[in-house]
Amino acid sequence: MGSTSHNQSAPGFGQAYDPFADLRGNHDNVDEALDFEDTYDGLGDQLDETDDAFNDATFGDTGTGVSGAVGKDFDFFGATAKITNAMEEEHQRFNLHQQTSRTVRPPAAQDYNTFYAYQPAPPAHQPARTGYEKYKEEPTELQIDASIWGVAPKKTATPAAVSQPPAPARKMMSLEEVEAAMRAEAKYASPVPPPSQPQLQPQYHAPESSPYSRQAQLDPIRQPIDGRHQRGFQTGEFQHPGAQGVPHGHPITILQRPTKHTPTTSSPAMPNQIPQQQQTPSIAPTQILQNPNRLPAEGARMEVPMHPMHKSQGSAPRGVSQQNQLSDLSEKEKAAFAEAEARRAKRNHKIHLMSGNNGLMTPQDKSFITRIQLQQLVSATGDPSEQGNEAALSEDFYYQVLSSLRAGQRPNPNQPLNNFAQTYLFQTGTRRGGPRHHGPQNHVQRMEQQVQRAVEAAKNKPKNKQLVIEGSLGKISFSNAKTPKPLLNIKRTESGTETNRPASGQRTQPASKGHDKKDALRDIENVYLTLMKMEDLTRSMPPPNGSNDQNVADKQDEFNKLNDQLWNYLRVHEPISSTIVHPFISFISYPKGKRAIPRVFRYLSPTQRTTILTMIIIHLDQLDVVRGAQVQTGEPISHDAATRERIELFSLAVMPSLFQLLNESDLDIVTGVLGLITQNINVDLVARTRIGVSMLTMILSRAELIKQAGQANEQSWQQWVSTFNLFFNILEPSLHNIFPGTVTSGEDIYVWQFLAAIGIGASPDEQQRLVFAVKDRVMGTVGLAKTLPPDMAKERLDNVNLFMRSIGLDVELLN
Amino acid sequence: MADVEDGPTGSVSEPLDLVRLLLDEVVFVKLRGDRELKGRLYAYDSHMNLVLGDVVETIYVVDEDDEEEDIKTTTKKSEMLFVRGDSVVLVSPQNSS
Repeated sequence: MGSTSHNQSAPGFGQAYDPFADLRGNHDNVDEALDFEDTYDGLGDQLDETDDAFNDATFGDTGTGVSGAVGKDFDFFGATAKITNAMEEEHQRFNLHQQTSRTVRPPAAQDYNTFYAYQPAPPAHQPARTGYEKYKEEPTELQIDASIWGVAPKKTATPAAVSQPPAPARKMMSLEEVEAAMRAEAKYASPVPPPSQPQLQPQYHAPESSPYSRQAQLDPIRQPIDGRHQRGFQTGEFQHPGAQGVPHGHPITILQRPTKHTPTTSSPAMPNQIPQQQQTPSIAPTQILQNPNRLPAEGARMEVPMHPMHKSQGSAPRGVSQQNQLSDLSEKEKAAFAEAEARRAKRNHKIHLMSGNNGLMTPQDKSFITRIQLQQLVSATGDPSEQGNEAALSEDFYYQVLSSLRAGQRPNPNQPLNNFAQTYLFQTGTRRGGPRHHGPQNHVQRMEQQVQRAVEAAKNKPKNKQLVIEGSLGKISFSNAKTPKPLLNIKRTESGTETNRPASGQRTQPASKGHDKKDALRDIENVYLTLMKMEDLTRSMPPPNGSNDQNVADKQDEFNKLNDQLWNYLRVHEPISSTIVHPFISFISYPKGKRAIPRVFRYLSPTQRTTILTMIIIHLDQLDVVRGAQVQTGEPISHDAATRERIELFSLAVMPSLFQLLNESDLDIVTGVLGLITQNINVDLVARTRIGVSMLTMILSRAELIKQAGQANEQSWQQWVSTFNLFFNILEPSLHNIFPGTVTSGEDIYVWQFLAAIGIGASPDEQQRLVFAVKDRVMGTVGLAKTLPPDMAKERLDNVNLFMRSIGLDVELLN
Repeated sequence: MADVEDGPTGSVSEPLDLVRLLLDEVVFVKLRGDRELKGRLYAYDSHMNLVLGDVVETIYVVDEDDEEEDIKTTTKKSEMLFVRGDSVVLVSPQNSS
């Protein structure tokens, strides 16, 4: 029959399920549907759940079979020709969609040939129906469980309903029943408010019976074919329905079963259809899940046929009433009815299209998936510790509880109680209550609660960006798409930036203030670099009389440039300040600075050299080799090694350069230098240092050499003498203190040299004063020489003689 | 007088420029193997190979006798020392005066 195929796909045929639903409706199945899903929660309900799944299949089977029959019936009567046309159209549409699966089935139609007799329907449809019936066997087997359920009326009701309707149909099959079946079909078409039929009403199953009655019509024919089914009815099987159906209507349920079984025996080859049939019945639970609120309203109207479970008594009566109406209706009413039916068919078709995959999942599957989604929602919004709490709870309940309880001892009181803990608190209540007893509080409600909690968690979350876990060293921050987890949490303090700056600032300050040690070192290095360049340039410099003048000129330019650089790095041009050590003085305070002087002098102009000499003289008392290097007569020389080294280095590196410079200088310069010393420098301080004394000796001796060479004019010489006299006056008080150490310590040759230089240039008066000042030292040294071995004595006496001879005396005279 | 402050300055373009400033200065050199040198830096190269003069080398040895860890130091003096750069941990200016 085309009807079978229609049943699967067509919502209109789905209405055929209504009768079963009606049975349930008697039992207040609407609530049960909710419970059904609830069963998923409870462990004890697992049995029920499995049964439920099959129930859907079974309902679908029965429904389809019945609906198909109904469709045919309408054609037969011809009363609802228009309606049937619409129905046919719908069927064809559905067939087109589902044709592939159905075409395979035709051979199975054998049993249903009986249908053909009654109804001129395309044989192609029958096979589909056979397939359904095969499934119906399974429900019967399940019903054994269902009988157990009979004790628990709600859940058992569904399987019972499936099995029951066909059974009564057989026995009841009378003309009236046939008519009732036809009416039932009519009811699908018309949403007209159902006036309850008096005939069927007395029996709660009447609505069911109507669709099944169609089958019942067929049944008499089938029965002979299916001996087994009859046995089933009469023997154990009908008892199961009986147990369930007892409250409802026993006879009907009993009769209906066999019809289901017959197809199975007859057509075992139709396994393919099973899923399809299951699909249609499954629609009901899905709809419940999706919009539970609508169920009561819509179920009454449209979807009642679709959902056997939810069908109320009213729906079945409608169908009956419709048929009655159809027959009695006027043309107008018929047209209106047809229109309504068309609309309905359209809508059903839409629903069907949307529900193409219906039935693939059982309600339990769906609720399970829904839960998974909820869990993901909660876990996505909630804190990580809560992730998949429900799944974890079912797997590892005690640990979860323990952890949640421990989490209750939150280190941070401001931190809200773990969402999981909150959830758990609610869950325990429901669980303890037991899934069986919390019928009204079904999982739909729980879903709502969970959604609420998820939303709340999402709201609370931004406030709770960090989770402080006890014992953790840091904070664990949450992340989501909107606010990614900050991997680095750097606190930038205002002071942080400042702490770095003072360091550099302090470094730059000295530079601005004057001359840093580092600057001096850098200058030294630059001087050396420049020196190396100049030396390299000098090596490559062609001889002055070379032919290539242009080349020489270039070299000379470069040389001058380097000379400027060198002069710049020497810092000699820096202004002289009384408070700060002059850069050049600090320059030559470094050993490498001192060592650079001879090389520097080679590449400096005479003027530059003189400037350096002047600079050194002016700062003579600030030189490292003078400052802090004074000696005190009568006290042992207490220079440390470094100072000695420096003095030695200065004597070896700087003094020769200065000496050479002085030797090339005019008397005016020498006089000027001595004048500088006399006027600007603490002569006593300088005279008590070896370098200072050496410097003075150098100056005085140069003047004497100039005088002896006769290079000095009278004016210059007079200027020199006056300067010398001034100097001698200043120096005289310090003369007895310029000897280093004691008489026995030695190392006083430079002093004797100095005294000699003074004595040469001194006037006779000054010479007397000089002898008088140093007489003690002379006598002491001579006396010491007598105690010393001849060699050492001679050395000492020679030193003294340097001075003695400068003033025309000799040590020998003292002896 | 000869002490040198360590630290970056504007004109320094590479770290070794700072070491260059320490030339002919007394430096403190820390070496791998718990050794320390103190001496005048005469030369260096990009591998931190060093030539030091008047070096005092200090070697720290931990004596683990009798569960008492005594740190013993032995010092050597070298007039001139070549230090291979891969053992140099740090070079620091040393205040010497």
